[in-house]
Amino acid sequence: MIGALLFAVFIVLMVIGVPVGVALGVAGTIAIAAANWDVHWFGLLAVPQNFYAGLAKYPLLAIPMFVLVGSIFDRSGVAKRLVDFATAIVGRGPGMLPLISISVAMFLGGISGSGPACAAAVGAVMIAAMSRAGYPPAFSASVVAAGAATDILIPPSVAFIIYSVLVPSASVPALFAAGMVPGILAGLALIVPSVWLARRHRMGTLESALPRPPFWASLREASWGLAAPVLILGGMRLGWFTPTEAAVVAVFYGLFVGMVIHRTIGLRDLFTILREAAELSAVILMVVALAGIFAWSLSTLSLIDPLTHAIVNSGLGERGVLALLIVLLMTVGMFLDGISIFLIFVPLLLPIAQAYGWDPVWFGVVLTLKVALGQFTPPLAVNLMVSCRIAGVPMESTVRWVVWLLGAMFLVLLAVLAFPQLALWLPGKLGY
Amino acid sequence: MSDRDDDTPAPEPILPPSADPPVKVPLAIEDWLAVLLLGALAVITFLNVLVRYFTDQSFAWTEEISVFLMIVVTLVGAGSAFVRNHHIRIEAYADGGSPRRRHALAIASQLVVLAFFLVLAVLSARLVWDEYVYEETSPAIGVPTWWYSVWLPVLSGAIALRVLGGLRRLLRGCA
Repeated sequence: MIGALLFAVFIVLMVIGVPVGVALGVAGTIAIAAANWDVHWFGLLAVPQNFYAGLAKYPLLAIPMFVLVGSIFDRSGVAKRLVDFATAIVGRGPGMLPLISISVAMFLGGISGSGPACAAAVGAVMIAAMSRAGYPPAFSASVVAAGAATDILIPPSVAFIIYSVLVPSASVPALFAAGMVPGILAGLALIVPSVWLARRHRMGTLESALPRPPFWASLREASWGLAAPVLILGGMRLGWFTPTEAAVVAVFYGLFVGMVIHRTIGLRDLFTILREAAELSAVILMVVALAGIFAWSLSTLSLIDPLTHAIVNSGLGERGVLALLIVLLMTVGMFLDGISIFLIFVPLLLPIAQAYGWDPVWFGVVLTLKVALGQFTPPLAVNLMVSCRIAGVPMESTVRWVVWLLGAMFLVLLAVLAFPQLALWLPGKLGY
Repeated sequence: MSDRDDDTPAPEPILPPSADPPVKVPLAIEDWLAVLLLGALAVITFLNVLVRYFTDQSFAWTEEISVFLMIVVTLVGAGSAFVRNHHIRIEAYADGGSPRRRHALAIASQLVVLAFFLVLAVLSARLVWDEYVYEETSPAIGVPTWWYSVWLPVLSGAIALRVLGGLRRLLRGCA
């Protein structure tokens, strides 16, 4: 009864436009009070306790740091130089710019940890360049948004950090390693339909007339950007730093490159960068903290066990349940962002995963792939929102292109479901 | 504040900045606080890495301060994000429909947020009082824990004031 109240309050508040975090907090608070009607202060002191405990976790510190990394690399001039270098390698031709967009987005995925930051960095450079070459802006926006979605799979990734905080048995390094192969596969899967669509619709015919940057000069220019993922991922792999430390090293590396080498960041920009990053991490961490209240009320109401029991014994079988979960998350993903999905659903789904003996790392990769798909599935698609704003097109206009890209990435999701080794091979090999 | 001189090299164009709502108490308070705290957080964590490499000292007690700074950044940044309407929310229903309905839903949603942060401020003040009375101390540094936790009621109150300001703008906007 109180369980139904918990979800009813949450859904109603969200629909009328209350921020997701606050809706979680209010629903949790009401459920706690309703369950402890006869206790001193209705047991509500658990609300600030869980709010505080939900935030006071050292691993979460990686989130503001990686958000800051994204905000710095957005302005560091690295994306533009990587694009020039990629153009120097593959040359000019029909379908080459979409290929470059996705490859550079994947590469930036090895530096920043959030999809929208990557979409902003790549979109700022590529959407104008693709328009000049004769690609329709709606197509460019779709390609950039989809390419940037690989960002949360390719390490480092804010999504994996949050998953690891929720599921301590899946360590951040193991998740980072597990995201690598599916992330690269997703990128490759996106390249195929983008190049094919570009050729079939004869887009970008002006491209071959544009100059091709010289190879060595652009390599030299791009080298600072090329070294960044080596530093971040290599440093973590060699045990030089923890994920949080890797992020802060990337912050200062990015500032050095942006302020001293490329000179695209001035002292004044520091204020804007820090302000944006502080506000964006506050938005993320606020949902984390308030979801702590929601999760605590869920666990004290002992709702999860009977629910898990009912699902496991429903006769759907392991594959049926998995298919149902994917359909459920796809639907929810159309309306909710990835981080909220993790915070609401991981506590609910983890017991099911445990009941079937699914590997927590593999499960994390599957959920993250799903969230990556959601980042460019209209109507609520964070990456697409960013790239459409840069391209100046309404989101509806991208649907005819985005469906192909969604389909391609969905195939990768199916592949990871069918062959868990795609995710688990690398962490196993590296010994995590 | 986001204006830049024309002679400085312009960074790559990101999204066009949107104007802040007309607030009575300048948002610069939260902005500067968030900027300074996040900067401090980055510097402390970076020093931590350096110190660990160049000496064999552990700087681990800074973790407690870092986590504390992160919590304050979250509460401060959340306040300005409420004013700028940057929090993650479902816009499909609330921002569609007639202006009348939109106005009513916006007021309802602001009232819910206001009530929540008022409750959070009261409850956390109660929690801080307990910590003060029982003289609890923090595990790593050994300072009284209420030094840290007192900011939760204070900043929840500040968020509530920001939301109240937003509500006032809404009610004046079109009555």
